[in-house]
Amino acid sequence: MKHLPKHLRPRWRYLAVGLETWPDADLSRGAFQRAVWYAAGNLLGDAGSADADLRVLQFSFAGGTGEALVRVRRGEVGPARAALACVHEVDGHPVGLHVRGVSGTIRACEERYLGRRAGVPAERRVVFENDRRRGYDRDGNVDVAGPADFTGATELDLESEST
Amino acid sequence: MYEAVHAHPDGESTAARFARTAARMGYEGVVVRARDATPDYEAIREASGIDVVDAVEIVAPDPERASGAVGGLRPDHTLLCVRGGTNRLNRFAVENERVDVLTRPMADEGDVNHVLVNRAAENGVRVEFDFGPVLRATGGERVQALRNLRKLRELVVDADAPFVVSANPASHLDLRAPRELIAVGEVVGFDPDTVRAGLREWGTLAERNRHRQSESFIGPGVERGRYEE
Repeated sequence: MKHLPKHLRPRWRYLAVGLETWPDADLSRGAFQRAVWYAAGNLLGDAGSADADLRVLQFSFAGGTGEALVRVRRGEVGPARAALACVHEVDGHPVGLHVRGVSGTIRACEERYLGRRAGVPAERRVVFENDRRRGYDRDGNVDVAGPADFTGATELDLESEST
Repeated sequence: MYEAVHAHPDGESTAARFARTAARMGYEGVVVRARDATPDYEAIREASGIDVVDAVEIVAPDPERASGAVGGLRPDHTLLCVRGGTNRLNRFAVENERVDVLTRPMADEGDVNHVLVNRAAENGVRVEFDFGPVLRATGGERVQALRNLRKLRELVVDADAPFVVSANPASHLDLRAPRELIAVGEVVGFDPDTVRAGLREWGTLAERNRHRQSESFIGPGVERGRYEE
């Protein structure tokens, strides 16, 4: 179909979203997009969700952190932010999510808010609550593996290893 | 703006991790509400660069046991919250001046009416708007939570009762930035200023209580001044 004249094209805003999970989670773009649609549909309803028209344009994720670029219609940034805040689980993995910023172009959004890769966490033995455990250390944030699930900690919470 | 978090072992992340994440999200402080957590608050404050408030949340099955805990824990903590959830507990909390915050009043079978909210206003007990189910529940459970939230909001506005807002995060992954909470509040019918005020209230409360617990404070309006003898 012939593309629309400029004044009829929708105006967009681009949201830079930072993601965080426990180190064992693996997210895909499709799963995140589904979670976003699901959250928007549930919170804003079909009408509001169609208005916001949330779409995940870029997605990168590795080793428990990631970032995404989400497109939203201009004027719907507030509802979009609310819908994103309600994404708490993707594919059964709990997800922490934070809107880093909003831009008018993809390029500005990338340059300002994206590309801060935290790197893959280093795995090491740690002592947490008098117990030797496996820890995933990224930048001073340590996710400590427990018998059932992880505990979020930092360097401050770890005890020095006494041999 | 402050957020009140459930720190390890009550939640899944330690107070230090909460503080770090909250600092990145633009919070000015976190209120650590946990009974068993005894982190080194000073070290966390220094490491994260934001305020960390020593608080306790009393979770008791009935007012008799909650009452004992209030008496025992009040002197040791800056902030004292009582978890509601039954009508008797809600009533106990709003009638007790020593309680700072009544949390989750509408959870489970708990309910609140104009009498309780007026009592809360008289005694200065903050009523908590719990955004947790709005963010993390779905379907009927969420509808119910939203309905309760609306009822509570209308009562609180009518009685001009003090309130706080929290997302009740149990791990650093549940934390949401203030702007996100304000946006969610707007969608579910809260004024942006109300949510902002509710998040600030934690900080105001902490400051007030620290002042009261400081050495110079004797009673309201009576203080030890900085005078030479």
